[in-house]
Amino acid sequence: MERNDIKTKVLKVISEVLDTEGVVIGEDDNFVFDLGADSMQSLQLVAGFEEEFNIEMDEDKALEVQTVGAAVDFIAQYV
Amino acid sequence: MKYRNLTDSEITALLSQGCFCDDWTAVRVSGPFNPAHIHSARFEGTVKLCPMNQEVAPGEGAPKPSGLYSCYIKDCEIQGPVYISQVGRLEGYTIEKDVRIENVSSLVVESPTAFGNGTEIEVLNEGGGREVLIFDQLTAQIAYLMANYRHEPEMIVRLKELIQDYCQRKQSDRGVIQSGASIRDVQTIRNVNFGPKALVSGAQSLEEGTISSTEAAPAHIGEGVIAKHFIVLSGAQVDSGAILDKCLVGQGVRIGKQFSAENSLFFANCEGFHGEAVSLFAGPYTVTHHKSSLLIAGMFSFFNAGSGSNQSNHMYKLGPLHQGWLERGCKTGSFSYLLWPCRIGAFSVVMDKHSSNFDTSEFPFSYITLEDGKSTLTPAMNLFTVGTRRDSEKWPRRDRRKDPDKLDLIHFELFSPYIVTKMIRGSEILQKLYEETPKEQKYVKYKGVSILRLLLKTCRKYYQIALKKYYGEQLLKRLESRSFDTLAGLREILQPQETYTGDWADMAGLLAPRAVIQEITEAIKDGQIKRIEQLRARLKMAYENYEEYTWAWYVHTLERETGTAIGQATQGQFIELIQDWKANAAKLNNMILKDAEKEFDQNSRIGFGVDGDEEVKESDFSRVRGAYDGNEFVRSLQAENEAIEKKAADWTARLEQLLTPEIRNPSKDR
Repeated sequence: MERNDIKTKVLKVISEVLDTEGVVIGEDDNFVFDLGADSMQSLQLVAGFEEEFNIEMDEDKALEVQTVGAAVDFIAQYV
Repeated sequence: MKYRNLTDSEITALLSQGCFCDDWTAVRVSGPFNPAHIHSARFEGTVKLCPMNQEVAPGEGAPKPSGLYSCYIKDCEIQGPVYISQVGRLEGYTIEKDVRIENVSSLVVESPTAFGNGTEIEVLNEGGGREVLIFDQLTAQIAYLMANYRHEPEMIVRLKELIQDYCQRKQSDRGVIQSGASIRDVQTIRNVNFGPKALVSGAQSLEEGTISSTEAAPAHIGEGVIAKHFIVLSGAQVDSGAILDKCLVGQGVRIGKQFSAENSLFFANCEGFHGEAVSLFAGPYTVTHHKSSLLIAGMFSFFNAGSGSNQSNHMYKLGPLHQGWLERGCKTGSFSYLLWPCRIGAFSVVMDKHSSNFDTSEFPFSYITLEDGKSTLTPAMNLFTVGTRRDSEKWPRRDRRKDPDKLDLIHFELFSPYIVTKMIRGSEILQKLYEETPKEQKYVKYKGVSILRLLLKTCRKYYQIALKKYYGEQLLKRLESRSFDTLAGLREILQPQETYTGDWADMAGLLAPRAVIQEITEAIKDGQIKRIEQLRARLKMAYENYEEYTWAWYVHTLERETGTAIGQATQGQFIELIQDWKANAAKLNNMILKDAEKEFDQNSRIGFGVDGDEEVKESDFSRVRGAYDGNEFVRSLQAENEAIEKKAADWTARLEQLLTPEIRNPSKDR
């Protein structure tokens, strides 16, 4: 899958979980500090990415991902 | 002790020192009695005195010369040197040596009493039906049976008889103030017994109670305390204006700062400050520190109440008859609210206000929050939080009980058969819900709570991580204490000694197979257990056999859940268990480390360096909070990860070198 396609899907999941419709999201945006994800939303993001891409991510490594761009790169390893 | 009448010269001396008595023949003395240390004392009834010729060394304060000064003493036996001064009325007591009683208005035993023993407490359900009789040997486990095994009416009747029999033995018209006790600056005390080195200082009023202090673990009642119908056990401290009515204060418990409680039980190492407790069953390590926190009609243990935690047991229908159950290790967030009846799974965190009834007991380590107006469960999330890990490590370290006779039986293990069974069931339920729920559905409902469909699979995975960690960890724990050099030998030493393979229960700290508890209840019913002391011994046996019970359950569960039968397992299967343990133990630790890292992130720095720029903020933060890499908890977890790697490598190598039957004796097996 192309990186751009991954990014589009990642943004879709972020929008659904964090309710960011209409917000411009950049690759450097931090899930917690910029997008306001709390602990439970962080789990939802992991679950959302797994479902969207039909993958199973390494649980502890997935929680290390902090930015949107890093999420795209991380997921790219699995698809 | 042999007593004699006073001599004329002794009476003359006492009279000259302001003493008074209607009938001096009723004042009897022992040994080389010397009246020099008795001034302004009035005696009434039968009073027995021993020589006052030594210093008194009470449990608290500097030694004092013994003697009786400005006091009224009626029907008392003073068995050794004591210091009694400014006591308005002292009546009906046997007073042992080294006791100090000073500035007390009234200290009396007025009528036959059991000193608080046998007081009936309406615990858990204010409407009644779960009454517990308190006494000075009451353990969390006996109270658990009494309160919660009402489905065994014969056992309850018999248990009640055992307790009443014990309390009958405590019945007396004479109290005891045991050696080394110190009672001072108190207004009124009525029908209270004092154990060795009990310290009562500044209390306002104590009635119908026992302060079961011991040499090794003195109990302390402090300033402004008002207590009626109570038992305070060794090492406990009740002070600073606490108000207790019908309460048991267990070993090592701290109650104070104007906390008030009625009809409540506080077992080992509980802490109650500022707030209020009503019909509370506070199992070991229940802690509530804040004003406006009310714990009512609930069962708790290893619990931490956030400020303003509150529950309702009244739905304005038939009365306050609802009850709640928070299994061990739960926390409630600030201003959280629960509407009883409710049952919360072990090691869960409750945040927000919940006005629906739910049962999450099949999902330990969960978060319960309010999302979109719904009580929402996030299962397994608390498995990998710093708090859970830190709590499980701190409880054993914070056991304040110094008394060698520890009443409450407490297992501290985070992962026990009880909890692991729950995780297995929780996993199964999440899997089933996942398979049954269409993707379009946002939430699923389960026993009164909502769970985000998206999280069903993920949360199940988290339980699986913990389970794999547990399976390998138990194996290693067993292997470490045993020697073997062949595969057959290995299988042999892993055979369980016990046969209990069924479900477990958490009896307010004691973890045991339900079948074992059932055997104990049968033994109570059929009269095998005839005295409270025997019941305690049976419970202790269950406590001490924890490891063997656990292993029997583990062997059975491992085969059922993974297909690995310990008795026939191959080298490969043993190695796989260890490799799975390594991967998942490290994974869980890494997730906890990620959680710890949040304590050092940008959000945690808000409010630091208030009058400066970013550099000041950094400097302020690093000086106050330190750095992630230098944090003691973080370092210990990182070190543990290294140890896990090494241990797994060592055991894998050892297992790989095992002599199989083929290698040991090839011709025989050919």
